[in-house]
Amino acid sequence: MASVADFAQAQAPVYHQERPAKSGLVDWLTTVDHKKIGILYGSAGLFWLLIGGLEALLFRLQLAKPDQDLFIGTQYNGLVTMHATTMVFLAVMPMIAGFSNYFVPLMIGARDVAFPRLNAFSWYTFLFGSLVINASVVFAHFPAGGWTGYAPLSTRAYGNDGMDFWWAGLVLLAISSMVAGVNFVVTILNMRAPGMTLMRVPVLAWMMLVIQFLLAFSFPPVAVGLIFLAFDRTFGSVFYEAAMGGDPHLWQHLFWLFGHPEVYVLILPSMGIVSEVLPVFARRPLFGQHAVIFSGVFIGFVGFGVWGHHMFTAGMGPIADAVFAATTAVIAIPTGVKIFNWLGTLWGGKLTFPVPMLFAISFIPMFTIGGLSGVMHANAPLDLQQHDSYFVVAHFHYVLVGGALQGLFSGIYFYFPKMTGKMMSEGLGKAHFWLFLIGMNLTFWPMHDLGNRGMPRRIYTYPADAGWNFDNLLGTAGVFFMAAGTLLMVYNIFNSMKNGKDSGRDPWDANTLEWMTDSPPPAHNFDFTPVVFSERPLFDHKHSEDLAIPVPHEAEQIHMPSYSWKPLVVASGALLVIIGLLLFHVAPMLWLISVAGALTVVVGIYQWVTEPV
Amino acid sequence: MSYRLLTLSALRNRLARQPRGAQQPNLAQHPAGKAALSLLKVVASAGLPLLLLWLAGCSNEPAPRDTHSPVSDNGEISSFFYSLLLYLDAAILAIVVAVWAYALVKFKKQAGDDTLPEQSHGNMKLEVIWTAIPTLIVVAITVPMLVGVFQMSKRHDPNQPVVEVDVTGKQWWWEFDYKSGSAAGLHTANELHLPVGTAVTLHMTSADVIHAWWVPRLGGKRDANPGRTYPMSFTAKTPGIYDGQCAELCGSSHALMGTKLIVHPLAGELEVDYKGQKVKLETYETWVREQQAPAKPPVAELEKGLKLFKERTCPSCHLIQGLEGTDIAARSATSGPNLTHVGSRMGIAANTLLNNPENLAKWISKPSAVKPGSKMPDGLVTPEDAKAIAAFLSSLK
Repeated sequence: MASVADFAQAQAPVYHQERPAKSGLVDWLTTVDHKKIGILYGSAGLFWLLIGGLEALLFRLQLAKPDQDLFIGTQYNGLVTMHATTMVFLAVMPMIAGFSNYFVPLMIGARDVAFPRLNAFSWYTFLFGSLVINASVVFAHFPAGGWTGYAPLSTRAYGNDGMDFWWAGLVLLAISSMVAGVNFVVTILNMRAPGMTLMRVPVLAWMMLVIQFLLAFSFPPVAVGLIFLAFDRTFGSVFYEAAMGGDPHLWQHLFWLFGHPEVYVLILPSMGIVSEVLPVFARRPLFGQHAVIFSGVFIGFVGFGVWGHHMFTAGMGPIADAVFAATTAVIAIPTGVKIFNWLGTLWGGKLTFPVPMLFAISFIPMFTIGGLSGVMHANAPLDLQQHDSYFVVAHFHYVLVGGALQGLFSGIYFYFPKMTGKMMSEGLGKAHFWLFLIGMNLTFWPMHDLGNRGMPRRIYTYPADAGWNFDNLLGTAGVFFMAAGTLLMVYNIFNSMKNGKDSGRDPWDANTLEWMTDSPPPAHNFDFTPVVFSERPLFDHKHSEDLAIPVPHEAEQIHMPSYSWKPLVVASGALLVIIGLLLFHVAPMLWLISVAGALTVVVGIYQWVTEPV
Repeated sequence: MSYRLLTLSALRNRLARQPRGAQQPNLAQHPAGKAALSLLKVVASAGLPLLLLWLAGCSNEPAPRDTHSPVSDNGEISSFFYSLLLYLDAAILAIVVAVWAYALVKFKKQAGDDTLPEQSHGNMKLEVIWTAIPTLIVVAITVPMLVGVFQMSKRHDPNQPVVEVDVTGKQWWWEFDYKSGSAAGLHTANELHLPVGTAVTLHMTSADVIHAWWVPRLGGKRDANPGRTYPMSFTAKTPGIYDGQCAELCGSSHALMGTKLIVHPLAGELEVDYKGQKVKLETYETWVREQQAPAKPPVAELEKGLKLFKERTCPSCHLIQGLEGTDIAARSATSGPNLTHVGSRMGIAANTLLNNPENLAKWISKPSAVKPGSKMPDGLVTPEDAKAIAAFLSSLK
């Protein structure tokens, strides 16, 4: 029988590289290696996850009891806005980007992404965007218009100064995501290893392909909306000002035309991770792999036709309400198909339960609860009650915490050995899992009840006689469990990097290509280009003589991209453009900063294009 | 224009031509709806343990704003769908969790067993079944839902008595302008008084940012958009006093933009329970007559309050009808609540504080301490003056 050890026999390839690699800080600043960029994205995501969680902890303290004044008015609104903005854009999305950067090329047997320097540019625009949004608290106040930024509460007339940092940061994040979307679509479609047909692409990579399309097509509408907002706030245009013939609904449509596909951007990768983890620890293939893939694609398509369900109370009229309600209900079907196929994968397997598997199996019922309350929201007459109530808060936290975040946690424990060559502690991991599971349900389950009891979301205080005291107290208590669990994971990560057991190439006896190479993989990923015969190339290599991946005797000659400063230069130019706009009203002539930024972008792109790689 | 759009608007027109009446049964009372619900309850008995868990997650405090004790036709429709989907969801969740839990226990790897399980890649028949069944369920819940959407958006028959009120959301209070019936021309704030069993249409709009008027016991919310007016039609069925508040984030005092709905009986006084207290409700027409009367001049010891009210520029935002020098406030986007009968309201500062002289004085001497960001400026009156003004305002019953 063949084994993973076979691949250790292969000779390292011979590099052709324009400039020799740098080391230390310069290497991290100029790297175009998808693995390093993935680590940067993932670390940033984890950092902002802690910050976003801290924000939630603070406003849950305010809500622990009625009539408190810990954080009131705009302070509270700022915390709520930043919690959501941080969790969606700065925590979950970069963690997804981390997985997609690190593992998509490995899963499809490629040496890097299609456009390595563009990848570095995405990272820098993301980093600058995240810093700009949070700079609001240093130079002004936290944006307080809600993460949905509804006009006219976001305009200069009614919004606070933080909203300038909010649009500015989001514009940078939009650029980052659109660029990354194009990059990864091209990568997955063009750079698969020989023999890896589309239906042999691992489900995680497939879900990443779907979300990259969603990113590339859904960010343009919100980018347009944000630029309208920027013009309203900076130059006094009236896109959203009703009195001047503008229309606040325009923002809602542009935002949710992005916002709903965005929800699937957040959840589909976790569905992909679960679809990778379950088969490994059930010791059998993913049940109905094609059905799982096609239902993900279907969700991606239909996801563009359901945004109006966020606007049932807005007054779109019964025809629009009816159409959006019906399309939304349809989403339940492919979602159900995925859940049933995961159950089918467990059924008849031989299950083991290490930490990644624990998060993956608890994903199933937790996400199902969120999905089923989603079926309620699709019902427009019922949604008139639930919209903007705590019922909705419960719903999307079951989807995004019970679903997206648990999936990502599963991925962290699953892939950590590949990224570091070390195993994470099982004991600490299990403590994290149970604390988090208990905390999550303690916080979010009673929120269903709060919604039924008529508590609106985003209120900083509530009267003692409204019947909301007990549920809110539970909710605040649960946050401490979640926080403790998450901090344990962070400690586990740092501790295991130093003291973890060596993992070797394939600690989980897994199925896909990323596990055949060293842990952590060398810069060139694979010593030789693997040839793929099935959808589980590594499993079949280990279990079937016919399907073993052939190991060549001679070293391959490969070209590796060189480091480059240009992505940082161009991204800095974009940042300067934004800073100039932010300072437009601060002093005259500061718009020249924007001009300097634009010139930097143009010159940077010219040098980028002419730079030998 | 496409064929489909034409047929959809034709459908809307047809539905709109059959205006609803107060007595017409709605979806929740339809025999088919009732039958479906009872059937589901039987099916969902499988989900009973989960329903119990559901209840276990709920506190046993009283719920004065329960969304599922509806007092209007619209609320009944929402609540009907909640019950329907709750039982359906409980049944589905029960099945998923049962299969999941069974699989986790039954298919746990035995120690020492290193053989591979059967390597099945799927089963086409199963895929078809678990695509088809959810599809049928989705169709079965979508069809009545569409009926509900159109039923709730139907306008009232213009030939029957309809109470029409313009509702304007303002940071951070509600303005009500009565447009039809005996109350036409009445202009009040924060507490909406309506007759029971009578068709009502609220025309929702906003003077600044987006708000949403939500009284959970009445039914669903509707956004109040600047530059747009959107109607919300319903018939309130039970007299009583119901709390609500703004449901769309509208700035620093969003949490303090409360409202009350008071549904009056048509004839005879009625005692209702409000948060454990007995409150007497007069008839709707009596209330209208009282509100239409101009304000009475204050008695001698309260005249100081009126004088201060005028001196401290209060009338530039607040109207008191019938007193000289207090009716100069032009109705505008920035004007504050009409105070002609402010003493008759249950709450002040948009239902944030109980209406009594102490709270009134506290509110007007430093508004921002009660409501962060309040548009009523701080420092207009000294605490001493505030007491005098509050005493005068409280007398305006």
